Amino acid sequence: MQATLPGRAARSILFGAEALAAALSPSTYTAPVRALAARQLCATAWEVLPGFVVFCAALAALVIRVIDSTARDFGLSGYSLDLYARLLVLELIPLFVALFVSVRSGAALGTEVALLRVGGVLDQGNDPLRAELLPRGIGVAAAVLALTAVGCLVALVVAYVGLYGFSPWGHGAYARAIGQAFAPAVLAGFALKVAFFAVAVATVPVAASVGGSREMRSVPDAAPRGLVGVFVVLALVEGASIALQYA
Amino acid sequence: MEPAPLPGLEIRHAGPKAMAVLLGTAIIVAAFIAYVLYARGAFENTQRLVLMADDGAGVTVGMDLTFSGFPVGRVQKIELAADGKARIEVDVPEKDAKWLRASSIFTLERSLVGGARLRAFTGDLGDKPLPAGAVRPVLRGDATEELPGLIASMKRLLENLERMTAEDSSLNASFASVKTLTERMSGPGGALAGVLGGEENARKVITALDRANATLASLEKVSARLDGMLGKADESVFGAGGVMEEARKTVAQLNAALGEARESLKKADAVLADAQKVSASTRDATKDLGALRTEVEASLRRVSGLIDEINRKWPFARDTEVRLP
Repeated sequence: MQATLPGRAARSILFGAEALAAALSPSTYTAPVRALAARQLCATAWEVLPGFVVFCAALAALVIRVIDSTARDFGLSGYSLDLYARLLVLELIPLFVALFVSVRSGAALGTEVALLRVGGVLDQGNDPLRAELLPRGIGVAAAVLALTAVGCLVALVVAYVGLYGFSPWGHGAYARAIGQAFAPAVLAGFALKVAFFAVAVATVPVAASVGGSREMRSVPDAAPRGLVGVFVVLALVEGASIALQYA
Repeated sequence: MEPAPLPGLEIRHAGPKAMAVLLGTAIIVAAFIAYVLYARGAFENTQRLVLMADDGAGVTVGMDLTFSGFPVGRVQKIELAADGKARIEVDVPEKDAKWLRASSIFTLERSLVGGARLRAFTGDLGDKPLPAGAVRPVLRGDATEELPGLIASMKRLLENLERMTAEDSSLNASFASVKTLTERMSGPGGALAGVLGGEENARKVITALDRANATLASLEKVSARLDGMLGKADESVFGAGGVMEEARKTVAQLNAALGEARESLKKADAVLADAQKVSASTRDATKDLGALRTEVEASLRRVSGLIDEINRKWPFARDTEVRLP
């Protein structure tokens, strides 16, 4: 039996809070948990790192080119780096990383949880969740943070090269623009948003599958349901972040 | 009970790799925060500058104070002062403080596109440095405030332009005249016809020019003849036996004559002196003549008296005239 939407949301929030509390608890990090979390992190972040860096560099080069030439056309080239940092680094890359990780790992995680539920493993209490799913969730969340950091770094480096080439003389203007774009409040909001993204990507697919049907035929629906949940949560977090920052 | 192993996670050296990812992430985050702090000037010594503006609209925390287009300070705080003005506190790095002097002027400009700009102008870089914590007024340069006046001026300009380009405007009439002129100028009479108003007049001018040319040619001949005549005159005047030579001779003769005349005059002068002397003698003689006359008159009166006596004594004598020698 499917729960209502508010009920599912409440259960997801509760599940996420429990998972976050468990993840922040040092006693959670036993050797098997660390090993499993490391394996999940490697599968989600390490293996895709080269392709991810290339993709981010290409996207960054494209966006900085578009923004800089447009800003020059309007005589606003002094604002191009500020606009780029706000658009790509603060908004697009974290959102893109969250979507990428949720599609790549979150869907699989949700499906596996659904299979566990069908097999009755989850009926044995919280231990299976803690033993198997929590490390994987931690790995996914850490992957979101790591990929976001790498993606932003690549984007900032590509922006410098795109604007000033390999000359060191643009550094003064670049540093000033970066300093102006990343005010302390903006930086804190950015960190909070990425943390929410990580938690949402790690917990929402699992929460969606845990509350799903026990029948075998409902397993294929687990992944899409989890993804939709992730997309909704990401959109809400992104919307709230933009509203707080620019309202 | 152990959970069933999940497929897809058989990765070699997962631990070190995961550690590398986490370490890399931590380094990136720490480095980025440090860079942002550096970029925001957290590690450099600054001095405070307070700018007082009538209107703080458009000023934001973090915006730059520029000097010659280069940022030399950053707005740290904006608040409403007790006198109702906007108090803008700017942090100026010590290395850039040399561009700001006691006589520096600060402006807040708002352009149509882009944000407001705080700018500093220093006329005399040799002036004493701006003290820390200095309070300076901000002059306003607002492009939008000029907009209504600009639009009114533009409207007037457009109206004038419209009037100028109207069908019956002076400009159009002038252009029509110019067109007529150029049409005439491109005709057989050329520019002359255009200027003089017709081909007939142009022809007259050309005829007059031809005549003038002919006159000039004849004048040239006359001039040649005059040249000949002048040559001859020159010869007769200045040549050997010419007028000039004769004149020179005449002048020499005249000089001689004048010398002679001078001599004659000297003689005349002497004569005059003699005459003067004669005159003086005459004056003396005249004095004697007076006495003589007196005597003569006395004699005459005596003779007259004698005659009268005779007449009285000699009645038949009627001729009473006395004849003097």
